[in-house]
Amino acid sequence: MADEAHLRALMLKGLDGDQAAHRALLTEAAGLLRAYFRNRLRGAPEDAEDLVQETLVALHTRRDSYDANYPLTAWMYAIARYRLIDHLRRARHRNHASLDGHDVGESDPEYNASDARRDVTTLLEKLPEKQRTAIRLVKLEEKSVREASSLTGLSESDIKISIHRGLKTLMRLMAQEQPT
Amino acid sequence: MNTDQLIDLLAKNVEPAERPRWARRLLVTLLVGLAVAVLLLVIGFGVRPDIGAARMPVMLKAMFSAAAAAAALPLVARLMRPGRPLGWRIGAILVFLGVCALAAFIALMGEPPERRMEAWTGGGFPWCVVVVPILAAPTAAALLWLMRAFAPTQLMLAGAAIGALSGGIGAMAYSMYCPIDSVAFVTTWYVVAIGICAALGAVVGARFLRW
Repeated sequence: MADEAHLRALMLKGLDGDQAAHRALLTEAAGLLRAYFRNRLRGAPEDAEDLVQETLVALHTRRDSYDANYPLTAWMYAIARYRLIDHLRRARHRNHASLDGHDVGESDPEYNASDARRDVTTLLEKLPEKQRTAIRLVKLEEKSVREASSLTGLSESDIKISIHRGLKTLMRLMAQEQPT
Repeated sequence: MNTDQLIDLLAKNVEPAERPRWARRLLVTLLVGLAVAVLLLVIGFGVRPDIGAARMPVMLKAMFSAAAAAAALPLVARLMRPGRPLGWRIGAILVFLGVCALAAFIALMGEPPERRMEAWTGGGFPWCVVVVPILAAPTAAALLWLMRAFAPTQLMLAGAAIGALSGGIGAMAYSMYCPIDSVAFVTTWYVVAIGICAALGAVVGARFLRW
């Protein structure tokens, strides 16, 4: 695996707080995950992209679960596989008659690789207010944690915890919100 | 929001990740679970009346139960974080089961034939298969909670491992009550009781551990 050493290095830097490395890791992971999910969900590229986004949030919020003694790609694909199984189980649960619907859809050549079926922005609105505010300030309006803290009157650790919890909630909402 | 924008959102203002002290949290959970199980036993069932005189068999049964918990612990710890091979951790449980079967067999062979049945069944219904899961429940709940905060990806196996581990903890508490001290009984029925905990854990884990 040529990717392994490179991705692992990015991951370790990201865990130490290197923003550029973390972004690079997520970007490269998105490409690998897209291939992984598209291979397994043929004819449903929007579902595949939903899963790419869901898994990216999972990789981010659960990054402390990576054990640096083992390959990064094994960790990443274990999580991807889990998200896929969970997705298929939900799909079957929701509508066991129309699972075949996944196969009949023609894939659209004009389709933008980064379009997902659901919109994360709408889901962010559904978060509890404190989590939503923390994510908006720090993640969308690019304020520092300290600025967000003085703007809201919440402590810095409270802001950090709210962001972390908010993103975990977001992933759960993403998993629930899949249209049939 | 497309995927690139989502990546922007996730990577923005990223902080150094916290190092989760999972080993310590696991240990604390087990100790608290054991304390709760003992409390539950003392309040709900009482200890055996001759516990002062029977210190030795009580100790041995508690140690046996601790060994069962110790056999399941590596698998639980391993399954908390994704993408690591299970290696010998399933084997450790199988070896423990093999040793139990062997010990039960040897102990039964040492009894005269007409006493074997009683030594094996304890001469009544083996209540441990009911009581041990009850005593294990608080530990199992706490372990499931802890596990879900990490990132389990094999939910049924993780649930079963948690069930077995908490079953061992429950059996440790139960040894203070259990009036039967025969080796064949303990190595059979305690293991069955822990196995029931593992089966329940697999069912609950598959649902509750989802994240």
